[in-house]
Amino acid sequence: MALMPKRVKHRKNQRGRIKGSATRGNRVVFGDYGLQAVEGGWIKANTIEAGRIAAQQYIRGEGRLYVRMFPHKSITARPLETRMGKGKGEPAHWVAVIKPGSVLYELGGVTEDQAKVCMARLAHKMPLRVRFVKRRMT
Amino acid sequence: MRDSLTVSERSELGKLHVRRLRNQGKVPAILYGHGEANVNLAVPSEQVALAVRHGSRLVDLNGAVNETVLVRQVQWDAFGLHVLHLDFSRISADESVDIVLPIELKGAAIGTKEGGVIEHIKHELRIRCPALRIPEKLEVNISALHLDQAVTSGQVTLPEGAQLLTDADEIVVHCIKPMVEDELSTAAAESGEPEVIGRKKEDAEGEGGDEE
Repeated sequence: MALMPKRVKHRKNQRGRIKGSATRGNRVVFGDYGLQAVEGGWIKANTIEAGRIAAQQYIRGEGRLYVRMFPHKSITARPLETRMGKGKGEPAHWVAVIKPGSVLYELGGVTEDQAKVCMARLAHKMPLRVRFVKRRMT
Repeated sequence: MRDSLTVSERSELGKLHVRRLRNQGKVPAILYGHGEANVNLAVPSEQVALAVRHGSRLVDLNGAVNETVLVRQVQWDAFGLHVLHLDFSRISADESVDIVLPIELKGAAIGTKEGGVIEHIKHELRIRCPALRIPEKLEVNISALHLDQAVTSGQVTLPEGAQLLTDADEIVVHCIKPMVEDELSTAAAESGEPEVIGRKKEDAEGEGGDEE
């Protein structure tokens, strides 16, 4: 089962607009290496889970994977073959809103070469352009 | 060996001038401390990139200012590709400064051969250190770390005359058994729809019945 919030204030959200780059959550904090989004967009809950599984299967409990995004936004959809109108559709899935620069996943306890291979596998699952990043001096 | 930066003084301030400066391949910087007047500086970006890659905390300034300074803060752009601004702090030989230093792990832990994995929990330590003895990083040798053992911040070897400012009991790195897949996906165990805050159960059921 994919990720979703436990409690929400409203079941349905407006679409919203992604403006600017990430000024928070744009550094590697927990692990040693990370996967950073180069462009903005939505990432579905099941895509986040697919990425996690792809990475977990590669590291096989050796290192530690950190998922830095969470699907807070519900996306509604209309049932098939229904006429227009009758109000907004029902929540169909959940997405994480990603700003350019956000760190999506982090990896610790593995070598840089292993992290690069793992992140490359993970990047294949992502619907956005991403890049490999390391910790940086603050 | 310390990195040296060739600095020039800049008189024009504000985002417009700073942006032009960056386009010319320079990084704006400021020098402050010791109750003296602030000096606005510009540093060539190649030299900055080199110093940042080395992780230098102490740098020698040449040109408009000739002294050894501490790099207090490095400001990055959203992608962490370019340094936007540097803060330099004046230091004197007899002074101690509070600084956050990165921790680097050295060696391969014995615990990994016993079926454990290394988890690096704390990546930085806050210490008070004599200004001229600030290292680039703190090294922790984990080669003698067995399964279910940990290194706390109190056990990290500090430079001579340095004092730990973070809690000495905090775990820096430990060797634990690998997590089982089930533990990792506990967050995803929930199903159905999330609870709506402030809505009674009957309301929610009523709404569910409306759609058809």
